[in-house]
Amino acid sequence: MSDKETKKYLQQSHDKIFESNKKWAEEMKTKNPEFFDKLSEGQAPDYLWIGCSDSRIPAEAITGLGPGEMFIHRNIANLVCNTDLNVMSVVNYAVRHLKVKHIIVCGHYGCGGVKAAMTPQDLGLLNPWLRNIRDVYRLHEQELDGITDEAERYDRLVELNVVEQCRNVIKTAAIQQAYKRDGFPIVHGWVFGFRDGLLKDLKIDFEKMLGEIQKIYNLAD
Amino acid sequence: MASYQDAIDRLVAGNRVYAQRTAERDPNAFSELSKGQAPEVLWIGCADSRVPETTICGCRPGDLFVHRNIANSVQGDDINAASVVEYAVTHLKVKKVVVCGHTKCGGAAASLGDADLGVMLNTWLHPIRELRRTHKSELDRLPDDDARALRVAELNVQQSLDVLKQHPAIKKAVNDRGLSLHGVIYDIGHGQLRLLDDAGVKKANGLWAAPN
Ligand SMILES: [Zn+2]
Ligand SMILES: [Zn+2]
Repeated sequence: MSDKETKKYLQQSHDKIFESNKKWAEEMKTKNPEFFDKLSEGQAPDYLWIGCSDSRIPAEAITGLGPGEMFIHRNIANLVCNTDLNVMSVVNYAVRHLKVKHIIVCGHYGCGGVKAAMTPQDLGLLNPWLRNIRDVYRLHEQELDGITDEAERYDRLVELNVVEQCRNVIKTAAIQQAYKRDGFPIVHGWVFGFRDGLLKDLKIDFEKMLGEIQKIYNLAD
Repeated sequence: MASYQDAIDRLVAGNRVYAQRTAERDPNAFSELSKGQAPEVLWIGCADSRVPETTICGCRPGDLFVHRNIANSVQGDDINAASVVEYAVTHLKVKKVVVCGHTKCGGAAASLGDADLGVMLNTWLHPIRELRRTHKSELDRLPDDDARALRVAELNVQQSLDVLKQHPAIKKAVNDRGLSLHGVIYDIGHGQLRLLDDAGVKKANGLWAAPN
């Protein structure tokens, strides 16, 4: 493509977003004239979603939720790192100020971030972030090494990564204190599959996990 | 406890409807999606529940690579956002990076004052609160806090774009293949996106003006 063609092409895709946004806004207004006024008043979402940045997993679309229902953080491979002010601010705000009832950590099979993390290659700026996934592998080395099929091993690593990130959420003072006081939020671990578009619940036993974690990480007393 | 489970059942049911409808509309949809992603846009937006990017842009799964945090803030020392940018720009080779702020942003509104939101949020919001200080006289002239919060949201988008311009992957992609950066504001009260003029570009619709 020439420079001019590239620009024209980009212009079109850009205009498309603004056009379809306008169309969407008009549709919503026709369906419910007060729709946007209501949203204007504030947000009170029940859910916090911590998911992967992957373009194929728009949280609200795959769960059928509308605007105002889910507070959302998305990063590479849905990681919750202890020293990451970005995600910790999100968790903090969602739990302490919005008082969400549920926190969902959602990974997905075929995650490029998880794959990249296990590739024996220097990925520069991504190294420190992706190292967290290698740490997950190390924590579950025996189980993962025991899976001979490579695709299956990756699938399991994706699941275990979600479990570990749930643990990291539960390690925070915000969750432990809120749960002790209110009996919520509850943390859930899910995995999205492209094969059928369905979410798989890893069935984390929240209370049990919380108890185990508080043996070492208790911040609620 | 019943209502807690109801809330989760609702998501599960919503997901089932999504999967069914998607497969009905296009039986190959999921096998196509499972091959990989090639999004054109990296979207950096606020975590606010009222700004679900894919819905408001009328986009489909696969269109937007997404990072969302408190007040769509990109900060130089934040490895989380920097990793998203690195992955999107260097590996997925997105063509555009969009930073989207919005009206009624809790983060922007909180930045108008110095209320103690806990050390975590105070630290995260510090760069936005600094904007309030550096633009004090302009903000003081505005009629009310809603207008001031909106102006802070705009300035914050601009500031995030400035930080992004320093990211090595972005610098390189802008030079090598014409990656472009855009600031937008989403108006929650009207459901509409508005493009912000880039500081260096005078025309409305800025970078997208067709070459003469
Ligand atoms: Zn992923
Ligand atoms: Zn916001």
